[in-house]
Amino acid sequence: MSDDGRPSVLADLLSRRAFLAGSAGLWISLSLARPLAVAAVQRDSQPRALDPREWQVVRSITARILPTDDLPGAIEADCVNFIDKALAAEDAEALPAYRAALAELDRVCRAAKGSGFVELPAESQDEILAALEEGRLAGWKSEVADPTVFFATVRMHTILGFVLDPRHGGNRDYVGWQVMGYPGPVHHLGGAQADHLSGKLPFQPIWERQQKRPDRKGPDIGSGHSGA
Amino acid sequence: MLKDVCVIGTGAAGGVWIDALTRAGVEVVALERGPQLGPADFVRHDEWSNIHRSDGFAPEWRDTLRETGTETARLGRSSMLAQCVGGGTAHWGGQSWRYREDDFCLLSKEGAIAGANLADWPISYAELEPWYERAEQRLGLAGRAGSNPFEAARRRGYPNPPHPPRRATLAIERGAKALGLHPFPTPLAINSRPYAGRGTCLNGGQCSNFGCPTQAKASTLSIQIPAAMATGRLDLRTGTRAVELIVGADGRVRAARTITAEGREGEVRANHFVLAAGSIATPHLLLLSRSARFPQGLANGSGLVGRNLMFHIFSYVGFELPDESMGAFGPAGMLSIDDFHASDPKRGFIRGAVISEAAEPGPLWAAYKAPEYLGRKTGAWGGPLKDYLRRYSRLAAMISIGEDLARFDNRIDLDPDHVDADGLPLPRITHQSHPNDLALAAAFEKTMAEIAVAAGARKVFSFDFSRAKGGTGHLLGTCRMGTDPEKSVVDRDGRSHEVPNLYVPDGSCFPSAAGYNPTLTIFANAERMAERFLDRLGRSGRSGRSGRSGRREAA
Repeated sequence: MSDDGRPSVLADLLSRRAFLAGSAGLWISLSLARPLAVAAVQRDSQPRALDPREWQVVRSITARILPTDDLPGAIEADCVNFIDKALAAEDAEALPAYRAALAELDRVCRAAKGSGFVELPAESQDEILAALEEGRLAGWKSEVADPTVFFATVRMHTILGFVLDPRHGGNRDYVGWQVMGYPGPVHHLGGAQADHLSGKLPFQPIWERQQKRPDRKGPDIGSGHSGA
Repeated sequence: MLKDVCVIGTGAAGGVWIDALTRAGVEVVALERGPQLGPADFVRHDEWSNIHRSDGFAPEWRDTLRETGTETARLGRSSMLAQCVGGGTAHWGGQSWRYREDDFCLLSKEGAIAGANLADWPISYAELEPWYERAEQRLGLAGRAGSNPFEAARRRGYPNPPHPPRRATLAIERGAKALGLHPFPTPLAINSRPYAGRGTCLNGGQCSNFGCPTQAKASTLSIQIPAAMATGRLDLRTGTRAVELIVGADGRVRAARTITAEGREGEVRANHFVLAAGSIATPHLLLLSRSARFPQGLANGSGLVGRNLMFHIFSYVGFELPDESMGAFGPAGMLSIDDFHASDPKRGFIRGAVISEAAEPGPLWAAYKAPEYLGRKTGAWGGPLKDYLRRYSRLAAMISIGEDLARFDNRIDLDPDHVDADGLPLPRITHQSHPNDLALAAAFEKTMAEIAVAAGARKVFSFDFSRAKGGTGHLLGTCRMGTDPEKSVVDRDGRSHEVPNLYVPDGSCFPSAAGYNPTLTIFANAERMAERFLDRLGRSGRSGRSGRSGRREAA
């Protein structure tokens, strides 16, 4: 489907949707591939696309994009697991470029800071990511992958891993929805009444319902790398 | 077997024709490119499939897009169309408007505008009014007659009462009233109580872009197609794409050449052909149907097939309320404000828009807007992003459906560089907004921000939809309806000026867009055209005709 042979698959994938962007890279969609039946794959946290080092780098990036504070962030939501599963399925087209960009990020960090991205302190990671986003990261070989496109991709991937249904591999234990105050898919939960709309009657969110019904837990995501 | 009528497309217009014709005793074969989807599919759909990847309804769809004729169009999937039984009505929001009297006489009211190609409709509001009524009753609209002081006269109220409001609805209502405006319940084709065999809305929140798992939302999938199936006179062929209309020596369409999803080629013959595939696929099929007699494409002696493409122009204002908005619940925007619809010379642009509450139906859609909320193109991550996401439950929004002006150069044609899976040229969208559209959008953004402030918003931000183009679901024009064969493609009955057994009753025939969601008008106009067709066919009064609500008056 690549129509002009540009070197960066990421740029190509993103640009297909870029014309929809009102501003700032919204509406970014990684792929035009048809949906794949990946639910089974996504029920475990074993890496399917990324190697262990790549997994750690992605995980560290997601931790800066949605940090953990008094409420859960990307680590608790297991956003890296979502990204890994997406790159193994719907977004498989993007995997080679993703890989190249991750390796380049680590290489640049080692050259500039003496250690890989994962091992840097959070402040340094933020500096690196800000420079990456703005396309001013010294030493980045842009023929590998467009740094701004790569950042926008990981950013959107992290958000997706935080806000999408847990069946896609992220939003573990609904922590993303708990942070946002989104109660879950209302149709699946039997619908809402007029008193819910007015606020008179609290709507019981999906995570509270499932605590009360342990037989209906969400996908078994397992521990894998998420606790590392 | 030779059928009486072949209908291509099963959305609003196709569904209405299929229903009206089979009810009148006509044998119909309907070609639908997509599959039959149902509740099991709709509960599987989520923001990942239907918002982000937008492949829940048309996974194979590709088009190309550019602004002007000098650019090379880019490959993508910019159109939100649905390829399934029900077409766009499977995933519409349900906002159901009657256009006003002035919407039908744009050119005579406004005069010619440089860079635009305005036209009057060949019909009036009065002529369409009984058909609006019929469509409203059939779809089970929820609304309150008389609550919009700016709407055109109606003889009959809505069949169902308005939906109960969410907290954001009430906040906007208070703000609008404080500004002296006239807010009212948006007419919605979503059941507010059990109606016509379909249940009450469960307030699931996700209407636009989603199929309704309970069928409380009206669609041809849930109403017209099942009714037609029950007559035993509908041969519905899903997964069957019409790729060419073949003309016989007599100048009439003889057959539709088809390809199934499995790649089987075939021909469907009929006495009459009804093309209702939407404002992209309808002209696309005509342009693909070239012959010695029609070298520019079928029914395109005027050269106007594909031209005057319209999308509406949206403005969108998000805001944060001091407390919970309940945006996750209930149908799409339940409140509207129509005070700014008519042209006002003081504003510096012509025409207007309806303003509606926009729902806040899901966490991903909210997350998209972080850069706008934060007011930064970069750095919308880390602590600021987290802080924004925590505010989701207080978010609310308004959207304006701006009337965009038809332009001759805004069009669908055949892309010279890209082909689809069947080897056919992709439809190419060329569309540039008229300066009037952009001025209108900017003014409505400001107006909605003022309403949001009056509603008690703590923070107000805009989201730029002006480049959304085919990303909108409001595809109109491309086979203009009119009386002059040199200035239009079909006549007032939707019949081709050139091909006597070819009809185009979908949104393609709209001469102008009007500042309202268009689907109810597509339904109503298709009802009118179907009745005219049946009258011509001389089969009026045949078995099964109900003769209710409007048929007599309009005959």
